[in-house]
Amino acid sequence: MTAALLELESVSRHYGEHVVVHALREVSMSILPGDFMSIVGPSGSGKSTMLGLLGCLDLPSSGTVRVDGVDVASLDDAARSRLRGDAIGFVFQQFHLIPHLSASANVQTALLYRGLSARERRRRADAALGRVGLAERSDHRPVQMSGGEQQRVAIARAIVTEPLIVLADEPTGALDTENSEKVLDIFASLRSESRAIVMVTHDLTVAARAERTISMRDGGIVADERWSSS
Amino acid sequence: MVFLVSRFRELLGVAWAGLTARWSRTLLIMLGPVVGVAAMVAAVGLTESAKGDLQAKLSKLGTTLIIADAGGSFGQRNPTMPEDAVARAQRVPAVEAASAVTGLNGVVALPTEASKDYYAAFPVPVQAADNALPDVLRVPLQSGRWLNDADLDNHTYSAVLGSSLAHKYGLIPGEIRTVRLNTVNFGVVGVLAPVALAPELDNAVFITQWAAKNDFGTEGKPSRLYLRAREGSTQAAADNLPKAINLGGPEAVTTKVPSDALAASAQADKTLQRVALFAGLLALFVGGLGIANVMSISVIQRSSEIGIRRALGHTRARVGGQFLLEALFVGVLGGLVGAGVGIGVVYGVSALQNWTVVIDYARIPTWIGLAVGVSVAAGLMPSAKAARLEPLETLRLG
Repeated sequence: MTAALLELESVSRHYGEHVVVHALREVSMSILPGDFMSIVGPSGSGKSTMLGLLGCLDLPSSGTVRVDGVDVASLDDAARSRLRGDAIGFVFQQFHLIPHLSASANVQTALLYRGLSARERRRRADAALGRVGLAERSDHRPVQMSGGEQQRVAIARAIVTEPLIVLADEPTGALDTENSEKVLDIFASLRSESRAIVMVTHDLTVAARAERTISMRDGGIVADERWSSS
Repeated sequence: MVFLVSRFRELLGVAWAGLTARWSRTLLIMLGPVVGVAAMVAAVGLTESAKGDLQAKLSKLGTTLIIADAGGSFGQRNPTMPEDAVARAQRVPAVEAASAVTGLNGVVALPTEASKDYYAAFPVPVQAADNALPDVLRVPLQSGRWLNDADLDNHTYSAVLGSSLAHKYGLIPGEIRTVRLNTVNFGVVGVLAPVALAPELDNAVFITQWAAKNDFGTEGKPSRLYLRAREGSTQAAADNLPKAINLGGPEAVTTKVPSDALAASAQADKTLQRVALFAGLLALFVGGLGIANVMSISVIQRSSEIGIRRALGHTRARVGGQFLLEALFVGVLGGLVGAGVGIGVVYGVSALQNWTVVIDYARIPTWIGLAVGVSVAAGLMPSAKAARLEPLETLRLG
C-alpha cells in the first residue's frame, strides 16, 4: 500500500470553552497520492473545519494529523508554515489574490523566502501561468481579469510550488458554469501519480468530477466512495 | 549569510510593493516624518541663517583681537601704560603680536582752515601709533602706505587717515593732501581700511610717536594696546595681560575682546530655536501616531493578503517583518524628503531675506534617524497585529 500524503487519525476539533461546539468528531481518513477527491456535505457538516486541518491552518483538539508522515501538532508555527508552503497548495472560493500585485507576482508570492533567484521565481511563475492558459496575462493585475481568470491565477499560485496536495475550497463557487467547467478541467489535468487534489464543495456537479467523494454530516464522515471517473 | 541577505532582499521587495501599492496612503503617513524633520531642519537653519552674515563676518575677522586700555584708577585724567608695555605684553605666551597707540589730547585736526568751527565742536581723535598696527589689526591699507621706520628716522610729518575720516575729508586716492594738527601740517601718506573690530580707528588720524613727542608733548607712553592672541587662547591672554603689563606698578590696565559683542550678536536665538525644534519634534510624534493609526487600519484592510501569505507558508516573523519594513521605509523616505524640504525652506527664505545660508548638515542624520525611530516604533504594534492574525480567520473558508 502506498504511503498516505495526509492522514487524519481520530481527529476531533471543538471550539469554545463554556459552550463547546463539536465541529469534527473522531474523524479518520487518509489522502493518497493520485487522489482526485471531493469532500461534500451541507453547511455545518464540518467541511471548513476539515479544510483548516488538512491545510495545517488549524490544529486538532485531539487526534493526529500527519502530512507526509510528520505530526503537524509537533511543529512550531514557523515549521508548520514551511510545511504548509512546501506540501500544500490552496485555492479559495474568493481567489484571494493580492490586489496590488500582477498575476506573475501573485504566483511568485508562493515562491518567496525559498532561496530562489528573482529570475527563477519569474520563470517558474510564468510556467505555472502557462499551465492554466494565462501565459500572456502575467503582467495583468487581478482587477484587469475576469473571475475565471483570477481563479486560474490562484490555481497557478497553488501549483507553482509543486505541492503534494492541492486543497481547493469551493473553487467554482464564485464562477459561472462556463468558467467552472474550465477550472474543473484544469484540476482534472493537474492529477498526477504523486499528487492529490482535494476539492471541498457543496456543489454535487463539482463533486461528480472527482474519483473519490467523502461525504460529511454533523462533524463526521458518513461515506467515502471511489469510482472511476469518465 | 548570502542566504539571509537574499531572504532580506525578498522581504524588502514585498514591503516596497506593499508601500507603492497605495501611494496616496503612503504619502499621507509619510507626512508626519516629512513635516517633523522639515520643521527641525528649517527651525535651526533659519535661526542660524538669520545671523548668518554676522557669523560669516565673525569667522572672517577672527576672535583673537584683544584691546588693553590704560586706566581704571579713580580720578586719573589721561591714564597711560608703561612705555615698554608692548614688550611686557609680548611676554604673555598666548600673545602673538602687539601694537601700541597713544591718544593725543587737545589736538585739533583740520582738513582746511574753513572747517575749524565744525572740527572744534566734533574733534577728530589723533593717535600716535607704531609700525605694527595694521598687521596686528589684520587690516590692509585702503590706499597709500602705513607709517614706517623712514618716517621715524627722518622725522617726517606723515599721517594716515582712518577710512571714515578720509571719506569725510573727501580724499581722493593718490591726492596730495595735508591735515593740520593744531599748527603743524602733516602729509597724508595713506588711508587705513575699515577696522570692523575697532571702528573707533576709522575716524582717527595716525601720526608717529616721534611727532607726538616732538610737537604735542607726549611721553611715548601708550594709552591703549591692540594685541593678537593665539587661536583659542584669547580669553586666557586677556586675563593675564593686565598683570603682565603693569608688573605690580601703579598703572591699571583693563582688557576686552571686541569680537565678544559680535559673537554674542551672531549667536542664533536659542530660545526660538528650541521652541521650533520642539514643534518639529511634536510634529514627528503626532506623525508617529498617524503612522500607527493608518497602519493598524491597513492591517485590517489587508487581512486577506496576510491570510494568503500565511497559507502560502510565510511565517509570522516574515509577515510582521514586512509591515515593520514598510514603517521603516516610511521613516527613511519621510526623513529624507523632510530634510530636503527643510533645506529648501532655509534657502528660499534666506534668498528672500538676503541672509547668508547656514545649515548644520551634521545634525540632519540625527533628525532623520529620529524620524526612522519614531516610524518603526509606531509600526511595531500594527506589525505585531499582522503577525498574530490567524489565516483561518481571515480567509473565510467554506
